[in-house]
Amino acid sequence: MLEFQDLRRSFGDVVALDGLTFSVAPGELCGFLGPNGAGKTTAMRCAVGVTTPDGGQVRWRGGPIDIEVRRRTGYMPEERGLYPKMRVHEQLVYLARLHGMAAADADASATTWIERLGLTDRTGSPVEELSLGNQQRVQLAAALVHDPELLVLDEPFSGLDPIATDVMSDVLLERARAGVAVVFSSHQLDLVEGLCQKVAVVAAGRLVLHGEVAALQAVGGRRLRIQVDGGTDWTARLPPGAELLALADDHVTVLLQPGEDAGPVLDVARTQGRLLDVHLEQPRLSELFRAAVGNGHLDTQASS
Amino acid sequence: MTRRQTITLIAGREVRQRLRSKLFVWSTILLSVAFAVLALVPTLLDAFSSPDDEVTAGDVTTLAVVGELDPVRRDALTAVLGPIEVQPVADEAAARDLLADEDADVSLGIVLGERVLAPAPTGIFGGAGELRASEAAEALALVDVLEAGGSAGVVDEVLGLQPLEVELIGADDPADAVARIVVANIGVVFLFGLLMFYASMIVNGIIEEKGSRVVELLVEAVPVRQLMAGKVLGLGTIAVGQTLALFLPAAAVLVIANREVIPPGLGGLLGATLLWFVLGYAFYTLLCAGLGALVSRPEEAQAVLTPATMLALIGYFIGFAAIQAPDATWAVIAGWAPPTAPFVMLVRQAVGSPTAIELIGSILLLVLAIGGTGLAAARVYEGGILRVGARVRLRDAWRSQRI
Repeated sequence: MLEFQDLRRSFGDVVALDGLTFSVAPGELCGFLGPNGAGKTTAMRCAVGVTTPDGGQVRWRGGPIDIEVRRRTGYMPEERGLYPKMRVHEQLVYLARLHGMAAADADASATTWIERLGLTDRTGSPVEELSLGNQQRVQLAAALVHDPELLVLDEPFSGLDPIATDVMSDVLLERARAGVAVVFSSHQLDLVEGLCQKVAVVAAGRLVLHGEVAALQAVGGRRLRIQVDGGTDWTARLPPGAELLALADDHVTVLLQPGEDAGPVLDVARTQGRLLDVHLEQPRLSELFRAAVGNGHLDTQASS
Repeated sequence: MTRRQTITLIAGREVRQRLRSKLFVWSTILLSVAFAVLALVPTLLDAFSSPDDEVTAGDVTTLAVVGELDPVRRDALTAVLGPIEVQPVADEAAARDLLADEDADVSLGIVLGERVLAPAPTGIFGGAGELRASEAAEALALVDVLEAGGSAGVVDEVLGLQPLEVELIGADDPADAVARIVVANIGVVFLFGLLMFYASMIVNGIIEEKGSRVVELLVEAVPVRQLMAGKVLGLGTIAVGQTLALFLPAAAVLVIANREVIPPGLGGLLGATLLWFVLGYAFYTLLCAGLGALVSRPEEAQAVLTPATMLALIGYFIGFAAIQAPDATWAVIAGWAPPTAPFVMLVRQAVGSPTAIELIGSILLLVLAIGGTGLAAARVYEGGILRVGARVRLRDAWRSQRI
């Protein structure tokens, strides 16, 4: 279990982390969400020992994050970084060995990941000669090449084309299935919704939403969109457990409390007239995110 | 993975990357060849020099003599020097003038009853003059003893003594004085040049890691101090390797081409010079590693290195000045001060006469200073290495070991 425990960190007057607490289990793929400047990068840097928190700590399997744990961690920094003049394969072997891998294993693993990520024809090129997308692939390979048991990736999807996004998604899912604890930050909420079982949403350095995506969606209540031929008078007679969210012409949106059935609402609506259209929707992750963070954050927070 | 393995791995990368640079490899090879060719020059000069300089049987040796040279002494001198020609002079000063005058072709000066004068060696391969002066002096002394009615036993006794003072004009030093001056000059110039080269190399290496942000990946896997240690060790290996590559071929040429005339002790002197190179590298590369961690852009490298450059420059100038006065008080003091010690002690060992205490003390002090500089640099490095962007103030880096 990767545990962020009451992390606190300030940069001068700016509070980046204000008691952040959450955890990621082995085999779990956790999306780490939050507006710019919410403290995601700082928290992840604490997890890999690149930043020391002012208070609190990050623990892995019940112990502190020491150099041994860090050697078994794969990290993709927010600002991508590789030796520009070093060749792809050589660089990956070097990074794998720095993480404690034996020379032969490092060589084999670098070759495997280069193939897997479609870089075979660039294996001998200096990194600076690669396109940005390919550099990003090498960066992912650098995080994976030493076969880590913990993956901490800061915005791994930013700047990727759709094909590379698919490759990245596949790799992360596969690693999680192999028992690796994966935490990655992203602003692409729809992508996270489709990919992650679990999310942690942070705002102003604190955790504002955390849990299984499905559970969060269930807790948020479902939306029922109904169009009835004959007006909206029926909404005055909504059964308990249903709440009117929006009215537009004869379109009605009702929020069903968790666990409530849509049947009673439909029964009431049918008394008004013929049902023209019915949709039952889970709340989108983006809606949960906006609700948790508050729209103000999205607009007013300075970039990190 | 052990600490040693990590440091070796990092050092190995530094070495490999450097050896991959064609500019570095070829400039080293070209310089090395150039030095080897330069080392051939004395041999070539010998080959083209006029036969006058050679002492061969049958040549007449011209002596400037103060006083009346009687037949007995003339025979004695002829016995040891071969045919001689006597040029009477009024006094010792005149004899010295003649010896100093190259056109006069006078080999030795003899002040009867007092001393024999010989010119100081003019090249690495001098020394013949001193030997002939000693022989002349012994012969004259032998005659003195025999005239005084000495027996065979007395003669033996006399031969075991230094009968007359032999003075080499123009130098106090033994025959390898010139070689030692050459070593001191080349040593100081190249120590400074190579130190500056490697100082900028280590700073550029740090800037590459900070600028490309790869440092975050490295710090995640490796303790910061090991990262710095590996870097310094890797560049130090390259530095010593390059130094050897530059000068070993030249030294080999000297030995092979001029074996019989290599001054004694030159090997030891070169070994000592290498020691000062190694200590100098260690001190200055550690200093520069600490300073270099404060900046992220190449254009800031020179400015941040200024303190180290100034120290090395001071060492360079004092070292150069010390070639003229290797045992002056100021040179002795500068030999004790760690930043200037590599330059000054290199010179003092070559052309001066440092005491054992000065030598060992200076090395100990420098080693201590290297340790202290290493610890301080590691602390600054830890504080500065992850702060990419604007130049980090030394005080801030010192206080916050980690951002």
